[in-house]
Amino acid sequence: MTQENWYDEAHPELTRRRFLSALGATTAATFLGGAPRALADEKRIKQPTATADSCILIWMAGGMAAPETFDPKRYKPYEVGTPVDQIISTFPAIDTAVDNIKICQGLENIAGVMDRATLIRSHFQPDLGSILHSRHQYHWHTGYVPPQTVAAPHIGAWMAKVLGGRNDVMPAFINIGQQLEGHGESEELKAFTTGGFFGSEFGPMNLPFPDLASQAVKPPGGMSPDRFSKRYKALENLLKNSPKSGELSDYHQESMLRSIDNAHRLLGSKEREAFDLTLEKKEIFDEYNTGRFGQGCLLARRLVENGARFVEVTTEYIPFVHWDTHENGHSTVERMKKEIDRPIARLIKDLEERGLLDRTLVVIATEFSRDMMIEGVPGSIAQDQSRAATDVIKEMKHYGLHRHFTGGSSVVMFGGGMKKGFLYGATADERPCLVRENPVSIEDLHATIFTAMGISPKTEYSIEGRPFYATKDGIGKAVRDVFA
Amino acid sequence: MAFRIPSLLLLALASPLHAAVDFAHEVVPILEKNCVECHGGDKSKGGLSINSRALLLDADVLEIGKPEDSLFIEVLTAEDPEDRMPPPKKKKEALNSAEIAVLEKWIAEGLVWEEGFTFAVDRYEPPLKPRVVKLPAGEPGTNPIDLIVAAHLKSKETKAPQPVDDRTFLRRVTLDLTGLPPSPEALSELPSEGKLDRAAAVDKLLANNQAYAEHWMTFWNDLLRNEYIGTGYIEGGRQQVTTWLYRSLLENKPFDAFIREIIAPGPDSGGFIKGIKWRGVVNASQTTEIQFSQNVSQVFLGINMKCASCHDSFTDRWTLKEAYGLAQIYSEAPLELVRCDKPTGEKAEASWIFPELGNVDPTKPRDERLKQLAELVTHPENGRTQRTIVNRLWNQMMGRGIVHPVDAMNTEPWNEDILDHLANYLVVSKYDLKAVMRLIATSRTYQSRTEVRDEDEGTYVFKGPVRKRMTAEQFIDSIRQVIGVWPAPDQNAFGKNLTGGQLTAVMEAHGLKEWDKRPVRAVFAKRDELQAALGRPNREQVVSARPDIVTTLEAINLANGPELAALLKAGAANLQGKAAPRELIENTYLAALSRKPTDSEVRIALEILGETPTPEATEDFLWSIFMLPEFIYIN
Repeated sequence: MTQENWYDEAHPELTRRRFLSALGATTAATFLGGAPRALADEKRIKQPTATADSCILIWMAGGMAAPETFDPKRYKPYEVGTPVDQIISTFPAIDTAVDNIKICQGLENIAGVMDRATLIRSHFQPDLGSILHSRHQYHWHTGYVPPQTVAAPHIGAWMAKVLGGRNDVMPAFINIGQQLEGHGESEELKAFTTGGFFGSEFGPMNLPFPDLASQAVKPPGGMSPDRFSKRYKALENLLKNSPKSGELSDYHQESMLRSIDNAHRLLGSKEREAFDLTLEKKEIFDEYNTGRFGQGCLLARRLVENGARFVEVTTEYIPFVHWDTHENGHSTVERMKKEIDRPIARLIKDLEERGLLDRTLVVIATEFSRDMMIEGVPGSIAQDQSRAATDVIKEMKHYGLHRHFTGGSSVVMFGGGMKKGFLYGATADERPCLVRENPVSIEDLHATIFTAMGISPKTEYSIEGRPFYATKDGIGKAVRDVFA
Repeated sequence: MAFRIPSLLLLALASPLHAAVDFAHEVVPILEKNCVECHGGDKSKGGLSINSRALLLDADVLEIGKPEDSLFIEVLTAEDPEDRMPPPKKKKEALNSAEIAVLEKWIAEGLVWEEGFTFAVDRYEPPLKPRVVKLPAGEPGTNPIDLIVAAHLKSKETKAPQPVDDRTFLRRVTLDLTGLPPSPEALSELPSEGKLDRAAAVDKLLANNQAYAEHWMTFWNDLLRNEYIGTGYIEGGRQQVTTWLYRSLLENKPFDAFIREIIAPGPDSGGFIKGIKWRGVVNASQTTEIQFSQNVSQVFLGINMKCASCHDSFTDRWTLKEAYGLAQIYSEAPLELVRCDKPTGEKAEASWIFPELGNVDPTKPRDERLKQLAELVTHPENGRTQRTIVNRLWNQMMGRGIVHPVDAMNTEPWNEDILDHLANYLVVSKYDLKAVMRLIATSRTYQSRTEVRDEDEGTYVFKGPVRKRMTAEQFIDSIRQVIGVWPAPDQNAFGKNLTGGQLTAVMEAHGLKEWDKRPVRAVFAKRDELQAALGRPNREQVVSARPDIVTTLEAINLANGPELAALLKAGAANLQGKAAPRELIENTYLAALSRKPTDSEVRIALEILGETPTPEATEDFLWSIFMLPEFIYIN
């Protein structure tokens, strides 16, 4: 940690006690185990003024290659016999609504809304020696490299814990589009798709299938609303008449009844309709509907309109599928862009039309970028995982970025107090396409997101006697240049 | 004990004019006057503790040799009183220029610190060795726990909580020892109130080896991180101990032997010390060697070595060197101490943390060192191990530890005599865990009414056991027992390629060729969404206590999740047409809540069920019963 990391120019109020807050405001409680304890002493850590009320994280799971999407490089068309070291991008660049920003072909709709975006091209990840997607995803989502001695909370759980819901029915943290069962790394995904040590109250409501989301807030399959509410009334009645009801003042039991009540309030609320995509106008639904991901974007919009705090929508991580291109990179990415381009652009416009974009931070991110040649970063000991290793292009499956690159990736942010039509950071034009200016670490990117949401990156809780911070060791520093 | 006063010898060597800064005479008084109140002893405001040189360095607030670049000096000299240390509310004067000069010189000269000096204050240091407990006088034959508790209550001028009736007792003890509520048959055999031979009932439950093992598997799986799938299994970086653990519980293996087989393992008990090996580079405090150090300390000794495996702990006395000493016992390769991810150049030496009991021989090969460690952990004079496990058992049964939280055994117990008596009892009974449980369960203390409890805990006075929430496994098993539907064994045993199959462990232990009619308990199942929602952890970390409250997301899952809905459906189908509504109500109350329904409860239940209950009506009735706090909390 260096000295400037403690200093947050944008928030001079923090400097008053930056000495303390840099280290983390804690009385190193000897409290061990049990519930985490907030160490937020308002006098020491002043939470920044929020520029956003909600956050939508659009997660490009599996490693979205920056040179194929938001950071176009020298384009080389497909041609049998091309030496692979000549290939950096397999898509040509296209113009966007902003003069100095070009992105890759296939993202024409997003290009049209880039004048609402801040594009960061200088995000980078640590080289963990071996690329395991779920491990880098854990790092991105919690801010901590796994394994950890305590269960680290997801960034959405931090928002749920620190900010809570925006109303008293809508769950604060909703996770759309990721199946957590049935594939090779599902347990690893579950390890970070969680409230961590905050407990399950702050964990995600998981909605893997947007078109089935309404079931999550409906009575169980086959049960009419009438029967559902009768069943709840019956429980209330039994409780009232129980000879044991005198014992209910015990706080455990009280909390149980409160939770059951919360659940039924949501299931009986008007907001629950937000989960039901069939209630959307058909032409709007069609506009979004490129598949599960597109539907997820629509669902995210509906949830945010109805008070969700943090929503993640993912293209879904399944090993070797979607953005996880170990071969056939070009054609896979072409397909992925078709899936994401229209719904993301539509989401931004919809939020804008509804007057919500200014207070909704939309972030497009991924665990790392990709490269044709380099696994990790130059000099990494990471094992090459390309399934289409070759020196020259012989067939289509060779054409694309098949290795995991951690030296520079792109992040796009819309709304929520970010600048509009703004470009920040850059990577080298030629391989290795490492970040060459304004590097943004995971800690700093998270600090930026947290700050926009009104959470100091130094916010901390004590767990097992250890202070635990919103950004690792409290060192995250918001990138002030991207704030409008 | 902390060494507070610099030695007189040093005072005699008074410094000449231009000599180095004098730590004891010049620096310490300034720090004492201005900083220690908030940053010394057990205080570490802002996470800064100046108790030792290492802690001050770890905090990264100063750069040795460069006072001008040190935030430490900057905050002391800030113009604006709002920015300055000490803070205005402490009403201390700003440091004068002479004092600042001393501190600057001190930093410039390399932060000289006197060996062994610390600002840390004495804190409770638990005894290591066993202690003989002199029992208070009382009726002969009285359970010693009750004698001690009676004395405790007398000293606190508190009345003893009322005893529970036989039914409540039987329900509590059956759930605590076997994980299930008492069967309607067991309840129907109850003699008239007050006539139950409670000790015999406890013995009968403990003699049900299978039910005991399958309930306590949950507790040990959490502690030993024994999960069947998950992180680490991808490339063989993790190993189950299921078969060994199940057998050990089934035969009630003496706890000292149990520990020895975990720490110095045979072929099927090595999963715990192997930890979880992640692919690629991991943080220095999460290598498998350091996991070994942390997990052995936590599970068997109630010591938090997690802080100390990154830097000297400032919440207790453990140091980086000690954390690495333990790790080196396990490590084949020599380890270098890494402080906060920065290598120190210092090599670790295999050593044990309570050398007064002996030590491992670092020159011996690893297997030999592990055996020596296992002997030290189970050393008869090592009261720490004994206290840690009896406290865990007490916590499981009484809802709150004698030392609480249970992983912080450096905390003062609310009653040393109970703790030490139980620890001694464990040794006398040759490390028989069931014997300790029996002693607890047959005490009047255990058999008292639960405390109606507020969240806020101040000083603890015993007012009765604390209600415990059923674990995920208990909840599901109890529902299954009530509805009489258990899953087919093939639904729970995974394919061999995944896990080896947990039920294989059961079949081998019982010598079964094929699965018979015995229930397939939830502990052997995969952690599905319902179990996860109900608080079964993924076991990437050691877990010693499950959540005690029911959250909203859980409640949503219980209201409409597919797993519970499927259970209810299966239950309704099984119960359909077997009994008239009234009988169904009475049977269900008995099986689920261990009591008869009142007239008004029957009336409400009849409204739900109707005269000829449809399967849906039965499902709704069952749901309402399973959602009662009376069901999910063990009273």
